[in-house]
Amino acid sequence: MNLFKSHAKNYSFQDLGIFLLPAFTIYALFVLAPVFLSFRNSFYYWDSPLSEARFCALQNFRLLFRDPVFWSALRHNFFLLFGSLLFQLPLALGLALLLNYPTWGRGFLRTAFFTPMIIPSSATAVLWQYIYEPQSGLLSALIRIFRPDFAYAWLSSPGSSLFWIFISISWQYIGFHTVLFMAGLSSIPEELYEAARLDGASEWQICRRIVLPCIRPTLGVSATLSIIGSLKYFDLVYLMGGGLPDSSREVLATYIYRLAFDENQGRYGYGSSAAVLLFILALIIVIPLQARKNQV
Amino acid sequence: MNTKKLSAAFVIRHLLLAVFLLLTLYPLFWLSLCAFRSEGDALQRPLGLPAQWTLANLREVLHSGNFAQAYLNSLLVCVVAVLICITCATMAAYAFARFNFRGKNWLYMLFLLGLMIPVHVTLIPLNQLLGADMLRLKGGLAALIGPYAGFGLPVSILILRRAFEALPAELLDAAALDGCSNLQVFWHVGLPLAKPALNTVLIFNFLTMWNEYAFALTLLGPGRQTVPLAISEFKGEFDLRITVVCAALLLVMIPLICVYACAQKQIIRGLTAGAIK
Repeated sequence: MNLFKSHAKNYSFQDLGIFLLPAFTIYALFVLAPVFLSFRNSFYYWDSPLSEARFCALQNFRLLFRDPVFWSALRHNFFLLFGSLLFQLPLALGLALLLNYPTWGRGFLRTAFFTPMIIPSSATAVLWQYIYEPQSGLLSALIRIFRPDFAYAWLSSPGSSLFWIFISISWQYIGFHTVLFMAGLSSIPEELYEAARLDGASEWQICRRIVLPCIRPTLGVSATLSIIGSLKYFDLVYLMGGGLPDSSREVLATYIYRLAFDENQGRYGYGSSAAVLLFILALIIVIPLQARKNQV
Repeated sequence: MNTKKLSAAFVIRHLLLAVFLLLTLYPLFWLSLCAFRSEGDALQRPLGLPAQWTLANLREVLHSGNFAQAYLNSLLVCVVAVLICITCATMAAYAFARFNFRGKNWLYMLFLLGLMIPVHVTLIPLNQLLGADMLRLKGGLAALIGPYAGFGLPVSILILRRAFEALPAELLDAAALDGCSNLQVFWHVGLPLAKPALNTVLIFNFLTMWNEYAFALTLLGPGRQTVPLAISEFKGEFDLRITVVCAALLLVMIPLICVYACAQKQIIRGLTAGAIK
């Protein structure tokens, strides 16, 4: 009976249309078609919204590879990427491990750590711009307690501003990863810890031999999300990097945006070729990760 | 001896957590205080309690900003986009979970590909497309609805498909045997049972759309604002007046924080639901 049922076709052609067509139409129109058009645009010389686009084959890409701003933007993306993998994730994991023991106000702490995630990033950007205000900002004011007359333009020195922006991005996301890790940790059965303690394992050994292997899947998810996230990061870098010279304030997404939409720019073709490279980069980096995960 | 050692670890652990709690919440606390300071106070002694509490900043925001309009705009866009997105996503997810048609995996992968597509790849073409003759949506609030719904689909379908697959198939089959059409089974049996997942998807989409910045920045015409856009433009206008901008930020964050305080569990679950193994 069961065998028979599983082979039975439980839908008609019409059903497929009713159930799938609305989603597919919207997805095709607003996600797939634009991606396709981006690919097409990237082969065109098209320097203002008003002018006619002219086919130029790979010229845009050739220019892009010689464009110092593009390379610095790419470097900045990788700075964000490694920063989030080497700073945000370990810190979040540490917090989650601390919270894994019986803790006062555990629920409250979890909620509090997660708070920055629900605030619009444009509000976060404004908040941190004031924190980094050279004179009256929070950070300068705090340092003035120890060193009177201290003032520092955190966000307008080309060399280090991206680092300070990265700190505020971390403020946004560490709580998010902490919550993910907490969920991963809570799925480890209590008996495992107890058995290990009975066998005389130290906390450090428990952490290395039990906890870390058990939350490897969660680590993978967090890492993948961080990688995708830092490749397509836009908001805070765009909002906080305003006053800097071009090459020190861009990541790929902001560069694409500025090429196309900043005043006096409108370089749709060139911007599209940068967008295409961003997309391909995301695929190249993420697909092997996903494939490996499916194998395990 | 043992308890003493334990309690030392206990104290250190709580100290570390307290430090991080401070790092997370103090900026928000500082901003809230700043909203009630006088301007001179904010410049001269930015730390500590305000020398004199004042409501002048909040009043000025209410008079000069158009946050009320921005709120309405955001609400309108988000509600419509969420409804469209969820309706389409639930139906598609149901089909993916229940029907075995040819090319199903390919189609599903195509939808999941959306998780990896940076929205910025689509900004330029969407700007073209929405201004095209057929749609003529450029600059208006309606321009945001399509992209928001479209980019909400992948995660929603992913979550909902899992929810539908977790339902006992016998239940749905029984309804079908009793003569319900697939649409009826979906509506009367599938949907009510998938309600927790629906809530999750609803919260996820609503918050992501509510806080979305890049599309709003690109696709809205002058004078049209959603809340995130209104904040950054307000900052541009009142840049040097910290206290007023902080008051605006406070007004934007209070409703969010209130909602968050009431429904933290659901919201945390909603926002982390996309992160499934």
